[in-house]
Amino acid sequence: MLKNELTGEQIPIIYWENSIGRSKLSDIVMKDPTVSRDHAVLMRRDEGWIIVDTNSKLGVFVNERKINSKETVYLNDVIRIGSTSLKLKKYRNSEGSQQKSIFSFSRNKTAKKTKFFSLMFFITIFHSLMAVSLAISKNDFTIDIWKPVIYFSLVSWLFYIFSIFILRRVNFELEILAIFLSGIGVIFISEKSLKDSYIQILAFTLGIILFLFMTYFIGNLDRVMNWRIIITIGAISLLVLNLLIGTVQNGSQNWIIIGPLSIQPSEFVKIAFIFVGASTLDKLQTTKNLTEFIIFSAICIGALFLMGDFGTACIFFFTFLLISFMRSGDIRTIILTCSAAVLGSFMVLKFKPYVANRFSAWRHVWEYADSLGYQQTRVLTYSASGGLFGLGTGNGDLKYVFAATNDLVFGMICEELGLIIAVIIAVIMAGIAMYSWVVSMKGRSTFYYISACAASGLLIVQSALNIFGSTDLLPLTGVTLPFVSLGGSSMVATWGMLSFIKAADERTYALKGGRF
Amino acid sequence: MKKTRMRSMVVYIMSISFLIGIAFFVFEFTLKGKFWAMNNINTHLSGNDMSKAGKILDRNNNILAQSVDKKRKYSEDKDIRIALLHTIGDNSINISTSIQNNFRAELFGYNIISGLGLSNIINTANDIKLTLNSELCKEASSGLGNRKGAVVVYNYDTGEIICIVSKPSYDPYHKPDSNKINLDEYEGVYINRALSSSYTPGSIFKIITATASLESNENAEQISYTCNGVMDLNGEKVTCLAHHGDIKLKDAMAKSCNIYFAKLALELGRERMESQAEKMGFNSNFDINGINLKNSFYDVSKASDCDFAWSGVGQYNDLVNPVHMMMIMGAIARGGTYIKPYLIENMVSEAMGIKVNYSRIVAEPQIMTSECAEELRNIMSYTAKSQYGSLFKGLDVCAKTGTAEVGDDKKPHGWIVGFSKNRNLPLAFSVIVENAGYGFSTAGVIASDVMQKANKIM
Repeated sequence: MLKNELTGEQIPIIYWENSIGRSKLSDIVMKDPTVSRDHAVLMRRDEGWIIVDTNSKLGVFVNERKINSKETVYLNDVIRIGSTSLKLKKYRNSEGSQQKSIFSFSRNKTAKKTKFFSLMFFITIFHSLMAVSLAISKNDFTIDIWKPVIYFSLVSWLFYIFSIFILRRVNFELEILAIFLSGIGVIFISEKSLKDSYIQILAFTLGIILFLFMTYFIGNLDRVMNWRIIITIGAISLLVLNLLIGTVQNGSQNWIIIGPLSIQPSEFVKIAFIFVGASTLDKLQTTKNLTEFIIFSAICIGALFLMGDFGTACIFFFTFLLISFMRSGDIRTIILTCSAAVLGSFMVLKFKPYVANRFSAWRHVWEYADSLGYQQTRVLTYSASGGLFGLGTGNGDLKYVFAATNDLVFGMICEELGLIIAVIIAVIMAGIAMYSWVVSMKGRSTFYYISACAASGLLIVQSALNIFGSTDLLPLTGVTLPFVSLGGSSMVATWGMLSFIKAADERTYALKGGRF
Repeated sequence: MKKTRMRSMVVYIMSISFLIGIAFFVFEFTLKGKFWAMNNINTHLSGNDMSKAGKILDRNNNILAQSVDKKRKYSEDKDIRIALLHTIGDNSINISTSIQNNFRAELFGYNIISGLGLSNIINTANDIKLTLNSELCKEASSGLGNRKGAVVVYNYDTGEIICIVSKPSYDPYHKPDSNKINLDEYEGVYINRALSSSYTPGSIFKIITATASLESNENAEQISYTCNGVMDLNGEKVTCLAHHGDIKLKDAMAKSCNIYFAKLALELGRERMESQAEKMGFNSNFDINGINLKNSFYDVSKASDCDFAWSGVGQYNDLVNPVHMMMIMGAIARGGTYIKPYLIENMVSEAMGIKVNYSRIVAEPQIMTSECAEELRNIMSYTAKSQYGSLFKGLDVCAKTGTAEVGDDKKPHGWIVGFSKNRNLPLAFSVIVENAGYGFSTAGVIASDVMQKANKIM
């Protein structure tokens, strides 16, 4: 809490990062003509309160000493901004809860843990039933058919135990949803190829490790902000490397193959993209323009176009719009970028008519049932065959169509598990986004706001392109359905994305170390 | 931080839009799911061989199609298979108006709730019983022989179609290969000509012109015109096959005098002709159990006087659909209203114990007054007795033949339309034989044979 030394007015500090300035949209509004519009940022970090001068005209003084961009503030220190002096004081109740809870989470930890346990249990049962159905349909009850579900469940339970008992996490909702989706994918893949399903389980495991590492890494914002430039350079070099030594598969050159390993670098660049896009409030205020981020985005999207991966380019573009809006709130920039993009796409369509050809079947797939609409018509036919309850795992025929377990996996869900489960899965995707929106409301930094919203926005756009592309509501672009689709890089990267949402949830760190 | 927090609403909006998209997919799923699932690309339907579909029966429970040992079997009688190809369909979806195509979902037991899931466990397939008499269809088919055309017969009191045949046809067991199917012999073989074709009517259209006259004049029967075999209209000619001299409606119809009906049409005027034709169902769409008919066409808005005069005798750009003409016959027989024809008696799902009746007697609105219908019955009865004496022996049939000129040095289409006045044999018929010559000697003979057979077996 701040106390105005002159008037005695008490100003509550609501957020973890507070902008101070004359602007009406500042968190702490100063009606003082000597104060700049965006004067300074007062923020809470592990070491305590920090004030940052965000290029103000007259500077910020702590105990009448002009600060050098950044200074730690202690209790009863006096901060002078313009001609206003503010004293940092203790809040009446306790220091730790400056923030009023918007959403009350369950306080009862044991009840929560039992809930997670039973949910995990339910998910394992669900996956096992899928495997049983598969075994019956194949009339094969050898150990091989059970291996994928056993390995998968083993990894997920280890993950559960590690999170709850070693890391002492009180929140596990996100992970549970992701495990549920990943498992469905693994069993679908095992219908066609056991080997692929093992690779998918391996990717799932690596994804979890990346998730745990990134959640730890993002925990310290200074570290993140320091690493940003390295991540940027890393991402760009990865894309350049991809363009240089990439291999073409299914029409796009987005693979790097090293020995037995084939990686899709663009999947990992998604993570870097969010790292670069998101930022803490003090950095947002000092670097107002988006130039650097726009240049980085242009490089990424341009590289994807060169690779011929239009689906991913589209995902990047939407995420770019989302991040730019979150950062600047500048509708004009967004409209400008959009018009540039529309113009650009027209140019592409004009000079490369074969690109337009790919979309000519859109909303007319039945007229092209054996050419451009082949995959979509199969998805629709087999989806409808499944009815509301599905034909059961292993009984579907969509799996014989090319890319059934990645681009067309939504059709497989409809056919084998039914429309109801398919809708539930879609609702889970939307639910993850809603969750990130809700938790980021209580987030500790604008970095978490932006990164969580960008990550969930990206997941939503990707799900939309996958689901609506395969069901002919949008043109088919061939992107994966997060967590479910076959694809190692995609699986690992999606878990990485999830960590941004996880990090935005204040409970992730709050109760772990008990520092706040 | 407040600002950024407000802006994160975008994610909320995105999620909602995504869910709206999902809702739209579910909406399309419920609306079009049947079409999606029943498509031929669906390998759950075992590709093209329809190995799981239900039976199709005729009115006497003769099996017309069934699935035995994962194979689709059709009637054992080759002639019946050929006669009913267009109604039943084959294993392909080329014949779009066939029962196997339009009622695929019912035959396979598909429904939106269980998809095709339930049909794997229990037999949800429906058996479809038709109103057809397959023996009568066989008779009609052999009557047409190798000529192209169509025969339709229905019970004008109940609406049951008892015979519907279209030629050319083929045996579904021995479908001609693709280079043969392009030959003239098989021209339009996938089209059910009774449902999906419309032809120049020729003299049978005189019934419509006569109706227009009867509906607008008190003493239409007394109106007399002079036929000199030819009539000159602004340099263009309307011709007649004979010199009929002074002639009135009844004889003009019996002798099929072109000049009389051309003059009658000119006298009535375009407006009255068009409104009468439209009242009788020209330019409107009809369907049989949801299968659309090609509409009959009458439009003289752009016709010259001579064209208009010719339109009154069924030439110019007039077009009629065989089933539609049969419906008009039903209306004349019944006194001004016809019963909507249908093809499906019922659908039975034995395993589910569900029987759905489709037979429904639906009377359509009056298309002519009952007085007018009575006059037409008399005129057509006179026509049949005086002119077609050798046909329909022992039957009380009213009829009108037509010989439609189709130009291009092709032989004319032969038509006959009519009905039995005897209420114990309440049948109306319509027969067209393409490029065959006079209606009397071509279509007339087929109609007569079919009606005789119907009289014997019904």
